Amino acid sequence: MMTYIVFILSVIFVVSFVGFSSKPSPIYGGLVLIVSGGVGCGIIVNFGGSFLGLMVFLIYLGGMLVVFGYTTAMATEQYPEVWVSNTTVMGVFLLGLLMEVMLVLYVLKSEEVGVVFKFSGVGDWAIYDTGDSGVFSEEIMGVAALYSYGAWVVIVTGWSLLVGVLVILEVTRGD
Amino acid sequence: MNPLIFTTILMTVLLGTMIVMMSSHWLMIWIGFEMNLLAIIPILMKKYNPRTMEASTKYFLTQATASMLLMMAIIINLMHSGQWTITKVFNPTASIIMTSALAMKLGLTPFHFWVPEVTQGISLTSGLILLTWQKLAPMSILYQISPSINLNILLTMAVLSILVGGWGGLNQTQLRKIMAYSSIAHMGWMTAVLVYNPTLTMLNMLIYIMMTLTMFMLFIHSSSTTTLSLSHTWNKTPLITTLILITLLSMGGLPPLSGFMPKWMIIQELTKNSSIILPTLMAIMALLNLYFYMRLTYSTSLTMFPSTNNMKMKWQFETKRITLLPPLIVMSSLLLPLTPMLSILD
Repeated sequence: MMTYIVFILSVIFVVSFVGFSSKPSPIYGGLVLIVSGGVGCGIIVNFGGSFLGLMVFLIYLGGMLVVFGYTTAMATEQYPEVWVSNTTVMGVFLLGLLMEVMLVLYVLKSEEVGVVFKFSGVGDWAIYDTGDSGVFSEEIMGVAALYSYGAWVVIVTGWSLLVGVLVILEVTRGD
Repeated sequence: MNPLIFTTILMTVLLGTMIVMMSSHWLMIWIGFEMNLLAIIPILMKKYNPRTMEASTKYFLTQATASMLLMMAIIINLMHSGQWTITKVFNPTASIIMTSALAMKLGLTPFHFWVPEVTQGISLTSGLILLTWQKLAPMSILYQISPSINLNILLTMAVLSILVGGWGGLNQTQLRKIMAYSSIAHMGWMTAVLVYNPTLTMLNMLIYIMMTLTMFMLFIHSSSTTTLSLSHTWNKTPLITTLILITLLSMGGLPPLSGFMPKWMIIQELTKNSSIILPTLMAIMALLNLYFYMRLTYSTSLTMFPSTNNMKMKWQFETKRITLLPPLIVMSSLLLPLTPMLSILD
C-alpha cells in the first residue's frame, strides 16, 4: 500500500473537492477543505517536501481556514445544507463520486491512460528516488531561492496581497 | 471611493497588464492576469446597486474560469517541454486549451455571452476600461503564442465572433450593449489575421482602442446610455452630434475614415495567403455591424428623432470636461492617408 500512497491520497483529495464543489453550506465545505488540506499536505510530504507540507498545515489550515470557519460561523443560517438534505447537492455529489470511481477503475485496470494527456496507469503515482539531489533538500533550496533570485515574485505577491485586502474592504464597504 | 484607494486600485490594474505583457515566465503571466482581475472588480462596482454587483460577479466568474484553463495549459506545457519560458506552446492539447482560455478572456464566440451583460451593468467609464484596457493583456499573449495556435479553432472562433457581433447588435437600443457587440466583432477581425500576420492584429487593436475610446468619451460627454437619449444631443451640442456621426462611420469601416485601414489590411493579408472565401464572408458580415452604427447615426445626427417637446432640452448640471477628445476624434477618423507608413513595420 505504501507504494501507492500518493495515488490513494490523490483519490481522497479529489473526493473532498467533489464534496465541497457540490455546494453544501460553507461550514461543511470548510470541513472537507480541512480534509483536502491535510491530504494535500500528505502528498507534498511524500514528494520530499516536508517543509512545504507543514507550511500547508500551519498557514492554510491553521490560519486561513480557521478565520474562514469563524466568519462562516458568524454568518451561518439556521438549517445549513448538508450533502443529503438537498436533492441537487446530493445528485451532484454522487455524480462526482461516480466519475471519480470510474476514473480510478480505469487507471487501475489499464497500463496506459489517456484522458487529457497520457500517463502510464498507476505507475506514475509511485515515487521512485530518482535524481541525485546530493546533500541538500531541493524544496528548502527552492524556498531560499524565492527570497534571493525570485525577489520580483515576492514583490508582486506582496503587492497582490495588499491590493487584495484593499479590494475586499472596498467591495464589502457598500455605500 | 476614497481617492487614494481608487488610485492604488487603478494602478494595480495597470500593473497587472504590464506584468502580463513583459514577463517571460508563464507563472508570472498568470499572476498578472489574476492581479488585473482582482483589482478591476471594485472599479466595475463603483456604484452600489444590484446590477453592478451582478455584472462584477459575472465578470469575475468567467475570467477566473479562463485563468484556471490558462493554468492548466501552462502545466501541460510544462509537463511536455520541461520549461517555463514564453515561446510557442509545443503541445497541441496545451495550445488548444490556452487558445480557449484567452478567447474566454477576450470575449470571442462561443465565450461571448458575458460581454453584453457585464458592459450593460456597469457605468460608462468602467465599461470603457473593460472594453479597451482589458483586451490588451490577452491579445499580447495570443501574439506571443501565435506560431503554435491551431488555425481551425482560431478561425472558427473569429468568424463566429464577427457573425455574433453583427447579428447580436442588431436588436439593441442600449448604447453599452451596442459597444459590447461591436467589441466582439472587432475581436473577431483581430484574431482572424493573428496566424497570418500578427502585426496587423496589433494595428487593428490600436485603431479599435482609439475608436472605442472616442465613442465612449462622446457618450460620457452627452451622458447618454440609450439611443433615445443620444438622439437629443443635437439640441445641446450640435458639434458632438456631427462627431458621433463621423466616429460611428469610422467604426463601421467606411473608406475615407481610419476604421477602413485595419479591415483593408486584414483582407489584403488574408487574400495574399490564398484564402478568398473567408475574407469575403468577413466583409459581408461586417455590414451587419455597419447597419446598427448607421441606425445610431440616423437617429442621432441625420434626423430629429421623435420625442415629446419637454424632452428636447437635456438636463445637465455643467459641461463635462473630457480629456483629449479632439485628438482622439482626429485620430479615429483621419488616419487613412497614413497607410503607406505601415511599410516600415516588419
